[in-house]
Amino acid sequence: MASKTAAKDIITLRGSAAIVSEFFGYAANSILYNRAVYPEESFARVKKYGLPMLLTKDEGVKSFISNLNAQLSEWLEAGKLQRVVLVIMSMNTGEVLERWNFSIETDNEVVEKGVSREKSDKEIMREIQAIMRQIASSITYLPCLDEQCVFDVLAYTDTDVAVPFTWMESSDAKLIANPQMVKLHSFDTKIHKVNTLVSYKNDEEELDDEE
Amino acid sequence: MILRTPAPKRARPIEPAPIIESPPVGSDHRQLAIYEDPSSAGPARREPSQQSEHMLCTYQCRQMVKADFLDALSNAEKQVQDYQSKLAELNDNFGKADEERKTFREKLSYVEQELAAAKGREQALHDQLLKEVNDSHERLKKELELSAKLQAKLENEQNLRKKAESTAAAAEDKAKELEAKLGHISKSIEKEKKRFNNELAQLNRDSKFSITKITVDLEKMEFRAKSSEQEVELLRKQQEDLQSKFSECLHQKSELEKRLTSLSFEDDSPKESDILVKHLQEELRNYESEVREARKLKSAHDSIELMKEKLLEEKSRRERVELQLPKLQEYELKINKLEDELSAWKLMIQDIPGVSCCDDVPLRISALQKEVIDNLKKLGEVNAHLKQMQVVLDKTQLDKQKTETEAALAKEKADRLEAEVKRMNLMLSAVSEERNMLKIAIEDFKSKNEQAGGHASSSALQVLKFHSSSFIFLLTLFLLFVIYYLAPFLMITYDFLLVHIQELESSLLKREPYIKELEGDLFAQKDINTRQQDEIKSLHDRLNSEARKVKSLERESDRLRSEIFLLESKLGHGDFSAANTKVLRMVNTLAVGNDAKQTIEALQSELQRTKEKLQALEEYKSQSGNSGKLVDSYMSGKVAQLKEQIATLEKREERYKTVFADRISVFRRACCELFGYKIVMDERQRPNGIPVTRFTLQSIYAMNDDEKLEFEYESGNTNIVENGYTSTSEISQQVDIFVRKMNSIPAFTANLTVESFNRRTLS
Repeated sequence: MASKTAAKDIITLRGSAAIVSEFFGYAANSILYNRAVYPEESFARVKKYGLPMLLTKDEGVKSFISNLNAQLSEWLEAGKLQRVVLVIMSMNTGEVLERWNFSIETDNEVVEKGVSREKSDKEIMREIQAIMRQIASSITYLPCLDEQCVFDVLAYTDTDVAVPFTWMESSDAKLIANPQMVKLHSFDTKIHKVNTLVSYKNDEEELDDEE
Repeated sequence: MILRTPAPKRARPIEPAPIIESPPVGSDHRQLAIYEDPSSAGPARREPSQQSEHMLCTYQCRQMVKADFLDALSNAEKQVQDYQSKLAELNDNFGKADEERKTFREKLSYVEQELAAAKGREQALHDQLLKEVNDSHERLKKELELSAKLQAKLENEQNLRKKAESTAAAAEDKAKELEAKLGHISKSIEKEKKRFNNELAQLNRDSKFSITKITVDLEKMEFRAKSSEQEVELLRKQQEDLQSKFSECLHQKSELEKRLTSLSFEDDSPKESDILVKHLQEELRNYESEVREARKLKSAHDSIELMKEKLLEEKSRRERVELQLPKLQEYELKINKLEDELSAWKLMIQDIPGVSCCDDVPLRISALQKEVIDNLKKLGEVNAHLKQMQVVLDKTQLDKQKTETEAALAKEKADRLEAEVKRMNLMLSAVSEERNMLKIAIEDFKSKNEQAGGHASSSALQVLKFHSSSFIFLLTLFLLFVIYYLAPFLMITYDFLLVHIQELESSLLKREPYIKELEGDLFAQKDINTRQQDEIKSLHDRLNSEARKVKSLERESDRLRSEIFLLESKLGHGDFSAANTKVLRMVNTLAVGNDAKQTIEALQSELQRTKEKLQALEEYKSQSGNSGKLVDSYMSGKVAQLKEQIATLEKREERYKTVFADRISVFRRACCELFGYKIVMDERQRPNGIPVTRFTLQSIYAMNDDEKLEFEYESGNTNIVENGYTSTSEISQQVDIFVRKMNSIPAFTANLTVESFNRRTLS
């Protein structure tokens, strides 16, 4: 975890990886709640980043996300993780409806030399808070998901990464054809910079087709 | 307002009392003329005889006098009337004069007011002028001080600028010289590099030549070595033979010695055996000597061979040295030249201040460039100072112009005051003329009055005179007062103004040469400014070019931003490079779990079904025991039959495989002999998963194993695959003609077999 001294907030690689993986966990939960992938009653309210956040109570999803976070943290400490994508698909057709793209830029000097950086924890929390607010407000412009949906997580890593036991290499990146894209805020721990972008299926094409 | 003290009243001239000799006619107040009877008067005055005559005479005289008196009265009355009319006229005139006096008084008061206002204005003007003069004095002083300071600054900055220019020029000259030297040095370095490269190439060639020579020599030496080895082997064999012979001889010798010893022990040896022994010993010795000689010869031969090899090596070395001797001389000359050049460079480097070696030259150049940049900065600062000085000079000029205008305004005011004074003088003169006119009129009136002898109007006239004279007196007094009091003041202010103006003009005259010098400096500065403006224009042009570059860079940045946007959109889309990135997916335990659950449920359902079936079977078995046994035996028989069938099928398959393999080999041999190509067939898969059959053909007339043709067969289409053999010029021509143009692979292969057959048979 990020170590706090009396006057300076020093961020280490491990601390930054923990912050980013924790952020992803909360972001995934927030997306699953806001996009109604799982019912509202399966979520519990907690306080995080100065906001009321919703975490799933489903043990399966909880364990999935915790395992995911552990692996992401490991890859982040090794500097091998490039992107994490949370994909929402239709359960019936398997069509990809939304892609929540979290791209990560790593400071290789920190990974190679093990130096630390300085940034206020409050500043980082503020930046994450802004992203969480944007995720919550995304329902205003994202198309309604009328059908039952499932989610999946893809990790874009370096080619020399050993594939863990519970992971497999996928040739299908689950892309959306002609998506609409909305770029959200980003946050930076001075070691890892996370850019958020949501791409969704263009609803207007369906309406035009229907017409 | 000046209190006009009334002039002291003039004492009226004591005039004799008019002798009233006769009582006035028609007047009520007749004064009784006391006629003194002469008789009553005095006794001794007149004679009595004459009294009657006298009485008559007096009566006549009285009558005459009365008539005369009456005439005179009438005349007097007429005169009186005339005088009365004149009085009236005079009264009218007096009234008019009074009115005029009043008007004059008003005018006087107005003039007095105006004079007071003018005085006030003059005082104010005087004060203003004083202030302005003082201010202008102070400004002039300040400006003089400023100009002196500016001059000093100008001089300093000019000196600085000259120094900076001189240093900049010197630095530029040095930099130019250094650049020229650098250019020369770089050119010479390039020439030397080229020379060295050429020498290197020559050396490489020489080395290659020497290498080839050495290889040839090596081959020769190897051949010789082989031959010598063969000889050595022969010699070894000989040596072995000799050694074997020697050993045999030794053995014989030992046997003989044994025999000899045995013989010697037995009895006296016959001479023949001694002779034999001697002969054998001699032969042994001869053999030993021969062996020694052979060894010597062998060693000598080895040494000779070594010497020969050494000789050959020495010869080769000598030849190489002889070949390289002229090169040595050239190299020595080059070395001498290089040394001379190095010394020249070193001298040049020593000449350059602050440089001790070649590495210091770029540093020195950079330092000089920095100095030039600093000097240019200083020049810029000096130019900025000069501009500031120009601004100050312009300000001083403007102030000077202002003071000049103010002096002109003061002059104009002084002129106006002069004009006013003149006007006042004119007024005075006009008033004095009027006064004179009045005087003349009064004198005329007086004279007329005296001539008429009218006493009755004299008093009025006198009064008139008195009033007019008093008025005139007052006027003159006033005017004199005005003149005496104001004119000096005006003159004073005028003089003061004149003095100040003169002082200003003198100061201006004094400052003119200085101003001219400043103007000269200004012109020089203007020239400098024009030059700087030209530089500024050039800088503007550079700025414009830089602006264009900036615009182009902005366009590039826009293009890059658009590219970034496109890339970001691609990123957002999820595109990635397979060379750097791989996509991993966590095994969705949720889905797996669901799938597992489903499979588990399905399996469980199947289990239940099978369990039910088993239970039913067991129940059926239990119900019918025999039928169960029969079923079991039937099932086992069926299993055995099936197994037998499987075994026969497998045997049949193996037989077919062997038959097919034989047939295939026969077919391939036949194809090879009929068409002249060994064909190898491979089944391969392309990266996209499509299966492809590859045929490799090798002609039976091929000169080597690399002459292979490769074809790919895919869904009825046969395509030639390029390899090293087909990329050669001869084959590629044939491929272009037969395969690509004529689309006939058989013709190509047939042509190739014929050519290779011809080549084979000819060789």
